[in-house]
Amino acid sequence: MATKESIKKAFVDFVLTEGTRPKSVYVFAKKQKMTEAEFYKLFASFEALEQGIWTDLGKTVIDEVKGQDVWSGYSAREKALTFFYSFFELLKGSRSFAIYSLQHAPKGLSTPRVFEGLKELFLSFADEILNEGLDNGELSNRKFFSKRYKDALWAQLVFVLHFWVKDDSTDFEKTDEAIEKGINVTFDLFQRSPIDNLFEYGKFLAQNSDAKEFLKFSGF
Amino acid sequence: MSEQASKEQNSIPTSKLQRSGKFVKTGLKVGSNYLKHYSKKLFNPELDRTELDEGNASDIYESLSELKGSALKVAQMLSMDKNLLPQAYVNKFSQSQYNAPPLSGPLIYQTFKKYLGKSPDKLFDKFELKSTNAASIGQVHKAELHGKKLAVKIQYPGVGDSISSDLKLVKPFAFRIIGISGKELDIYMKEVEERLLEETDYELEVQRSIEFSRACANLDNVVFPNYYPELSGKRIITMDWLEGLHLREFLQTNPSQELRDQIGQALWDFYNFQQHELRAVHADPHPGNFLITNDGKLGVIDFGCIKEMPDDFYYPFFALISTDTLNNKSETIQAFRELGMIHPSDTREQIDFYYGMYKQMIGLFAKPYIVDRFDFGRTEFFDDLYGFGEKISKMPEFRQPRGVKHFIYINRTNFGLYNILHDLKARVKTDTYQPHFLVQN
Repeated sequence: MATKESIKKAFVDFVLTEGTRPKSVYVFAKKQKMTEAEFYKLFASFEALEQGIWTDLGKTVIDEVKGQDVWSGYSAREKALTFFYSFFELLKGSRSFAIYSLQHAPKGLSTPRVFEGLKELFLSFADEILNEGLDNGELSNRKFFSKRYKDALWAQLVFVLHFWVKDDSTDFEKTDEAIEKGINVTFDLFQRSPIDNLFEYGKFLAQNSDAKEFLKFSGF
Repeated sequence: MSEQASKEQNSIPTSKLQRSGKFVKTGLKVGSNYLKHYSKKLFNPELDRTELDEGNASDIYESLSELKGSALKVAQMLSMDKNLLPQAYVNKFSQSQYNAPPLSGPLIYQTFKKYLGKSPDKLFDKFELKSTNAASIGQVHKAELHGKKLAVKIQYPGVGDSISSDLKLVKPFAFRIIGISGKELDIYMKEVEERLLEETDYELEVQRSIEFSRACANLDNVVFPNYYPELSGKRIITMDWLEGLHLREFLQTNPSQELRDQIGQALWDFYNFQQHELRAVHADPHPGNFLITNDGKLGVIDFGCIKEMPDDFYYPFFALISTDTLNNKSETIQAFRELGMIHPSDTREQIDFYYGMYKQMIGLFAKPYIVDRFDFGRTEFFDDLYGFGEKISKMPEFRQPRGVKHFIYINRTNFGLYNILHDLKARVKTDTYQPHFLVQN
């Protein structure tokens, strides 16, 4: 009896050997010695199946990183770094599939369908670690913006994914560098910075009429 | 990771473009320092170069300290050649031997998993995520296994890849500081590149560390950590944690003359045993690579840089130093030719000139070798040495480098050794390990 797992495995194997998706569910199901109906019971389409592979990958990584002893002691920044490193470490095992999937996903402004599940999963994971960071003061709580932090992290993930596809350094060391530097920069922007102070100072001046007088007086 | 540390890390420029930007900026700053200096000098001819040198040194250092890896290594290397560089550079560059921004905890985990297949907390009983110090192309962590304290060195990712591009950037700039230029430098740059690339190969380093510490095991007062190949890999080295003080800290404790002599002797023996018995030498004698243990022994903790001496370099070079070859003009010229210090295309006048200068230089350098005891605390010797270095650095005849490529690391090694012995003010028995000579037929 085919399970979700065995079908995913067979699908990845097919894509890697043939360099393309199976022509139809019928062809694929026949090869797996099952009926089309059995396939549809588990997946609505090949796209849904491929989406499931990516989502599984994300789930595996999240479970793995959360199981690490050091996890609870990590800051939000370190948690994000850990996710990224583990994600690409795991992805190494299915690099050819990842490259295939990425290159065959329709290019456009919105997230390709096959990544939707992973995105949803990642965003809720990012939300979780970012909220911890906001609560304990590691990150700066900015109106409107703090809600978008997680989108910035997703953009990072997409960026590193494309970087990794093209990375030809030994052991993908360049990808490690890209993660280390990219995530750190992103988190620096999330942290309290001079811009926050400037903003607050401006707010203070605007709210304080005396200061307004002074600005006029000094010719601003 | 502390906020401060992570900030530092983020400011490391990544791409070659950005790195070039850094150097261009420094070049401009150095240029403007010169401009400031000479315009001031217009009004005050007495003005000392020290202020200028200090301004340049700090600008260069600032730029180098933002670049990790090989650029930092070049900074360290420049700081070794005290004889070539004014004091201000040396002081600034010496800082680079102690500071470099740390790796994030998750990256350390990642490196372990990649190269050893397990996270550090599974490999060791205890592992400190915060590094204790930086080692220019990596950083050092404390760990514990079966009650034994260990030092774990982890290399920054991508160092090997960026060495060649870093060297290209440093080249014009480094040579302006040292004051030499020209295409003939390429052969020397190659030599440096080769050594630096070797240094990034941690598997090679473990293998050499084990070989050298075994070969040198019988030397008095020299100790080596044990190395653990099963806990080491391409980017990770695990060794025993040696307790002790770095040279600078050691000197601050006001050690007795006797103790300083003992450490100095250990250093001398360590280097000369390698040069004359192993014909390959630990070519990175900067103070950060040594520890002075609590029981007054010299701990050697880094075998990243090894320079092998081929026979066609070793014999002519040491014949000059410890035989009476120097008293025989034609034999000396012959040796200088073999060592590339006199070129086949040189005119009679040039031969005479270089013969005179190099004879004087080698004569100075050989002083510790021609006696059986030498007091490295004597400042006259070092004043002569630096004075001579200063003198020739201003001579147009020495604009183009001469000598075979092996001189780079052998000079660095021996001058580095002399400098440390001088800092120690050690009195050393210099006839413990003698050079070997070819028997003349």
